[in-house]
Amino acid sequence: MATYTLKVRRYQPESGEGPYWEEFDVDLDPSLSVLDGILQAKDRDDGSLAVRCSCRAAICGSCGVKVNGSSTLACKTQLGEAHEAANRRQAGDDAAPPRGADELPPPGSAAGSPANPIVVEPMGNMPVIKDLIVDMESTHWAKIRRVTPWLLPHGQPPEREYVVEPESMIDITQSMACIQCGACVSSCLSMEADPDFIGPAALAKAYRFVGDPRDAETVERLHDLADDPHGIYDCTHCFSCIDACPKGVAPMDQIMRLRRRAEENEIADPNNGHSHMAAFTSIIEKKGTLDEALLLQESYAPGVKGKLKPTKGAIKGLLGSIPTAIRGIRTGKMRSLPKLIPGVHHKLPGGAQDEVKAIYRHAEEHGEELNLYIKGEEGDDE
Amino acid sequence: MSENLKVAYWPGCVSRGFTPELHGSMALVAERLGIELVELDRANCCGAGVIAEHNQELADTLNARTFALAQQTGLSMMNICSTCQGAQSECQQRLDADSAYRAHVNEALSGQGLSYEKGKDGFTNKNFLWLLVEDYGLDKLAALVQRPLSGLRVGPFYGCYVVRPKHRLGYDEHPERDLYLEKVIETLGGEVVEYDGARKCCGFPVITMNRETSLRQAGTHVGDALDAGADCLVTPCPLCHLNLDMQQPEAAKVVNRDLGLAVLHLPQLVGLALGYEPKQLGMGKHIASTGPVEERLAGVAA
Amino acid sequence: MPSHDVLVIGAGLAGQRAALAAAEQGVSVGIVSKVHPVRSHSNAAQGGINAALNPGDSWESHAYDTVKGSDYLGDQDAIEIMCREAPEEILHLEHLGVTFHRNEEGKLGTRAFGGASAARTYYVADITGQAIMHVLYEQLMKHSGAVARYEEWFCTALALDEAGECCGVVTRNVADGSMELFEAKSVILACGGNGQVWKPTTNALICTGDGIAMAYRAGAKLMDMEMIQYHPTTLAGKGFLITEGARGEGAHLLNAKGERFMERYAPNKMELASRDVVSRAEQTEINEGRGFPDGTVALDVTVVPKKRVHEALREIVLVGRDFAGVDITREPIHIKPGNHYTMGGIKTDVDGRTDIPGLYAAGETACVSVHGGNRLGANSLLDTLIFGRRSGVDAAARAKRGEGSRPSKAVLEAEGATIDAILSRGKGSGRRISEIKLELGQAMDRHVAVFREEAGIQEALETVRRLKEEAKTAYVDDHGRVFNQDVLAAIELGYMLDNAECTCVAALERKESRGAQYRTDFPERNDEEWLKHIDLQLADGGPEISYSEVTITQWEPEERKY
Repeated sequence: MATYTLKVRRYQPESGEGPYWEEFDVDLDPSLSVLDGILQAKDRDDGSLAVRCSCRAAICGSCGVKVNGSSTLACKTQLGEAHEAANRRQAGDDAAPPRGADELPPPGSAAGSPANPIVVEPMGNMPVIKDLIVDMESTHWAKIRRVTPWLLPHGQPPEREYVVEPESMIDITQSMACIQCGACVSSCLSMEADPDFIGPAALAKAYRFVGDPRDAETVERLHDLADDPHGIYDCTHCFSCIDACPKGVAPMDQIMRLRRRAEENEIADPNNGHSHMAAFTSIIEKKGTLDEALLLQESYAPGVKGKLKPTKGAIKGLLGSIPTAIRGIRTGKMRSLPKLIPGVHHKLPGGAQDEVKAIYRHAEEHGEELNLYIKGEEGDDE
Repeated sequence: MSENLKVAYWPGCVSRGFTPELHGSMALVAERLGIELVELDRANCCGAGVIAEHNQELADTLNARTFALAQQTGLSMMNICSTCQGAQSECQQRLDADSAYRAHVNEALSGQGLSYEKGKDGFTNKNFLWLLVEDYGLDKLAALVQRPLSGLRVGPFYGCYVVRPKHRLGYDEHPERDLYLEKVIETLGGEVVEYDGARKCCGFPVITMNRETSLRQAGTHVGDALDAGADCLVTPCPLCHLNLDMQQPEAAKVVNRDLGLAVLHLPQLVGLALGYEPKQLGMGKHIASTGPVEERLAGVAA
Repeated sequence: MPSHDVLVIGAGLAGQRAALAAAEQGVSVGIVSKVHPVRSHSNAAQGGINAALNPGDSWESHAYDTVKGSDYLGDQDAIEIMCREAPEEILHLEHLGVTFHRNEEGKLGTRAFGGASAARTYYVADITGQAIMHVLYEQLMKHSGAVARYEEWFCTALALDEAGECCGVVTRNVADGSMELFEAKSVILACGGNGQVWKPTTNALICTGDGIAMAYRAGAKLMDMEMIQYHPTTLAGKGFLITEGARGEGAHLLNAKGERFMERYAPNKMELASRDVVSRAEQTEINEGRGFPDGTVALDVTVVPKKRVHEALREIVLVGRDFAGVDITREPIHIKPGNHYTMGGIKTDVDGRTDIPGLYAAGETACVSVHGGNRLGANSLLDTLIFGRRSGVDAAARAKRGEGSRPSKAVLEAEGATIDAILSRGKGSGRRISEIKLELGQAMDRHVAVFREEAGIQEALETVRRLKEEAKTAYVDDHGRVFNQDVLAAIELGYMLDNAECTCVAALERKESRGAQYRTDFPERNDEEWLKHIDLQLADGGPEISYSEVTITQWEPEERKY
């Protein structure tokens, strides 16, 4: 049993005042959850503290919050661990050096240096209704509905079940594990910069259908998601959603799988995402290390066709890069020939480039996609 | 800690491309720190997470080759790029998790006489920041400081690929890896400036795909650091450096405010404290002027 | 006032299925839920759903297992319907897109489950309930033109017309506190169970017996309220569920001596005997001192091949890791019987009709009865879908016949007044709601759990009655309108107390042991006197007892051995 302090971001819409902080002391075992703490505060001190919660066991997805700045489920975050995370730096002293785990003040220590409280806030990227309750309908659910989240089979169903590859059902179990808690949406950095981004939850949900052999509109779905400038190529690849997700859905991985499927279907998107990926891959095959100038050019205007008939976006992109290039030349970053002229970049020395090419041949032949969520990691004893 | 560290050194692509000042300053710093760098000049690009989007096995094999080349030297590996760290750690996790898959990947390398062996000689792959704190030692670093960075207010910018996802970047064993920049800054005598964007995304991965989303992120984080009173940012990732420094004037347009904040590579910050001059460390090549940093340090003799 | 032909209260599996089935009949449908539909407790059902789909299997075999599992209190006509319609329902779900597990041929694959004579449990890893419910919600999003969704609206009372027929419901919009009277030709209650009456429980915080209490207060009959299932494998303290699927995959139950004690209680089925048998076995081991100091026994999953654990038991690996600090692939985990499910509920016929015209019930809220004295694992998901569908169809047919009248505003005013009264109580007027709830849960878990006897149940009943009085003056902290969870907690407390009172009265009345009801003072099953349902109906402020027959078609009661 220990005493923890929860510093909660509160907001009373009927008060006419803005959001404010309120601290609650709770007495609970370190293995119990932040939700247990919030509920004790509700039970003992203030029943008006509003939080969505139901199952307490990380399956209903109700209690999405931010704990110490990280989006997560309140019921899944242990008080002891949250206290530790909040106290890596000394309380109120941002300049003090971070403390080792054994130097942390015990929770509720009155004497000596005060402990940092556990900070609890509502989820991000969504409007706050009251205290820890956010409006998920306008952001999260609207985006889910955007990806046509129901099966689109063609024709009549068979008499018995659709016969499908067993692996396909296991494969999409990862997307199916999503409990719609919104932690990924809350943590999404692309969405922070671009609120129109379709977002990790909706795109993970989209993969559930793209990967389902019973769905007959795979190509249409991929086009829909790739052609949208705020679609699969708007993901800034920051892993925040993977870190936030309490169920191992790994939304960013699902987005990357959607990109692979789009590539397999030769879908050229207006964001140059496809050409960027193709250019990067082909440059390494030829040169072994990155030729940045060539990458830039090939991303916008791929191949001969891209250069002879550049799209409007390509022209805009290439022209837009010129000021940056000029600055680079001026300061001396890009003074040598290989940097200025796309394609002049050196290959790997010795026979190394051939070794790289051999790797490409082998990988293109097989292209295995190992998914540790499905396969699991071999234990030390195996 | 250890006597002279010797590492198999993967410098990455961009440090020898659009951020040559990084490659140069790392060489200087290694010399003064007494770290011997055995450069893997036959190694290939890590894929930066982009090749894995196209073909996961390809990315895993390319990095298995790099690991194998490093293992041939009998040394552990060091990189100087958050993106290399993250991309390679992801591939390494898959290779280490499944012996059948590892064997399949090694098949592609067998023709070159290369093979990636899990755990051979205690093999690790660490970026310079982790190496500095965990293997080199901050006490040892402190003892070599010739020019303490007194009064220099530094904002850390980690780069996504070394802080997420925690489960495959060794955070269970080293829970403070997302505080190492702060530790280094303080060890060098500088002042840490905390601001919202320290562990967020610079936007580099989408610079060609959604320029607005990309530069809005870079511009916002640079702006937040300025508002918090930073004299400069420091980052262990050259790709972040490209978006935060080289694109800074463009980012300023997107977020509609003046910026002008110097962005230093980690080895440059260390190099300044070790007594090197800004020009030696290639700081003149930056787009966002490092003048204010130099002024701040002018009063402190080396 | 919002008006629909069919109004469904509760958006778990039963409610969503009913809404979709009614919509298919071409009537106007509304579905009301006090939480967002995907938060409904159906998502916690892990293990699977039963159906005799395998060519080698038969619905009669499934039905017999269910009858036996019910300890012969189940109504066999209802059980026959459920088992006969199960295969088609599974295929229907698969066609909608449920990602059922497949065998090597790519066809639907099964796993073993408790009380079953054949492997007939279809599943999605160990998230079957979640998987099915999310697919049904996908369909609701698809048919949003046909089914109006009222998400986060809380129902406080049914509306009856002068003839005593159900014609609507009073609800509170949680977002802004406004009260609304909904009118409907048919109302289907699908509000789930009442597990929060006990502490601890596997049930979510929202499982407060709302539907059962609203129907009871409107004068509908409840049935089998004493039949409360204690699930054999729940975590001590928090009460979290560890799926029966673990035992289905081969996990063992061990006492503190390391013995597989089920050998003494159910030598044939061992760990896969029906749940009441296993729970009693565990409780006996604990009571007789062969359990661990923390009042538990152990579930050993280490004997299950790791690959299988990863494929089919991933959820409980997470539960063990996150909530008990145990890696179940490496060491046994401590468990004990915990409150889980109510076999009893609102008395209905096989089409979901209660004895109030216009009022239907389906799912855990209802008692048809298909589970009788004890529910088999993986039959609950089936129950919700079969009778959810049938209720939806029948409710739509009733609406098409044009029956039903308009509710009067009086009930809306009365409910508004009740809420105003709650809001007017400030600190000092009485106890805190959370305290009353805690006392209720502890009393019920002590006296009306796995083993019961007269003095204990009587004490629980007296506690309940006292708490009912105290609830009248319990105060709230929140006096606002937006998302006032305090007021909802006060209303839910009232529902819970009504549920508890009925359970105690029924448990006292049944002087025998059958299924989940085990009376240490009446330890034998007594078919001669007690092969009948105990019905309860509100009269003079309390539950009035009557009896109804158990429908027997094919299977005469016999001794129940596993």
